[in-house]
Amino acid sequence: MNRKRLALLQVLMALSVIIVITSIEFVGSVRAGSTETEIVEYTPSISPEEYERRYKEFYGDTTKQMAEEGNPGELMLEDGEELFHSVDGSKGKSCASCHGENGKDLVGAATTFPKYDPEIKGIKTVALQINMCREKRMGAKPLKYESYDQLALELYVKSLSNGMPINVSIDGPAGPFYEKGKAFYYKRQGQFNFNCAICHVKYAGYMARANLISHYRGHADHWPSYRLKWGAVGSLQRRFRGCMKNTRTKPLPYQSEEYRNLELYLTYISNGLPIQVPGFRM
Amino acid sequence: MSKRIGKIKIRIPRNIKKGDIIPIKALIIHPMETGFRKDKKTGKLIPAYYINDVTVYYGNEVITRCEWTIAVSADPFMTFYLKADKAAPLRIIWKDNKGGVYEKTVQISPK
Repeated sequence: MNRKRLALLQVLMALSVIIVITSIEFVGSVRAGSTETEIVEYTPSISPEEYERRYKEFYGDTTKQMAEEGNPGELMLEDGEELFHSVDGSKGKSCASCHGENGKDLVGAATTFPKYDPEIKGIKTVALQINMCREKRMGAKPLKYESYDQLALELYVKSLSNGMPINVSIDGPAGPFYEKGKAFYYKRQGQFNFNCAICHVKYAGYMARANLISHYRGHADHWPSYRLKWGAVGSLQRRFRGCMKNTRTKPLPYQSEEYRNLELYLTYISNGLPIQVPGFRM
Repeated sequence: MSKRIGKIKIRIPRNIKKGDIIPIKALIIHPMETGFRKDKKTGKLIPAYYINDVTVYYGNEVITRCEWTIAVSADPFMTFYLKADKAAPLRIIWKDNKGGVYEKTVQISPK
């Protein structure tokens, strides 16, 4: 009698284990399938104005005040200006020999970036454009991404468009790359199974532990930016990497295709906001 | 060119009248290493490197002196108030624990 009962129990247990395993696999496959094919858009939790209000309520005017009083990024800007006018490479040219003294031909140029480039058949950012220029027109070595010189030069070029509204176009060949960027924004990935949108669209303005989650509009208008956490100036793509590390996702290299597409998407949804570099943030 | 240590920016108000109390804002680029941080790759301590003395001259007179320690943040910024009662250069001198001396002078000329 006891043996029979034991055998029955064993069979039941084995069955239940199988059921649990298969159900997990089934859920997993459904989840994987849904993320790859379609984008489920979220409705933004709050308006940008409401976010501003909550930000002010929570953090006060401290960062704004610090930015106005002494932004260390402004000192980097002077170095960028110097680099812009210094001759480098085999052709004996500086940036200023083509683009004019004090970059007068580049005023407003950064507002249309990132944009499609037929040569690389993809999206080019300001950083990529500078390196392309250096290699082809100046015969100089490309600058290492996130190095001091590269950031200083990017900062200077972008600062020429300060105060002008972002005007990124996704018509024509840039369209598919915009879609790819959007798909990346809504793609769930990493150990926490997060996407960008869940925090910055669905739960923007709410708290993640002790931090107020920022609103997606205005994410792309102030880079390169001085960040208190870094104690240095960094680019938007460095921030991408930081965000990906926080959600336990493997970060991608700087100026990789995915990041450039993502930068296009983010900049497009910030269209109309004025460029303000160097930024200053927590 | 790495992070430029010792780049300085001093801000003073544009229009100064004689006898005004004006804010002086000074920013310097400096890593301010505490000596307690470890290098992530090698695991060794990064040696302390910080500004420990700031002196402000107005003309030939020392008007303020600060002793800073490792508690002060990187790229330190300071503000102080000054009674602009004479036309004289304002000189600020920062000294760090490795013997570095950084200074900048701005002219204060009240009308």
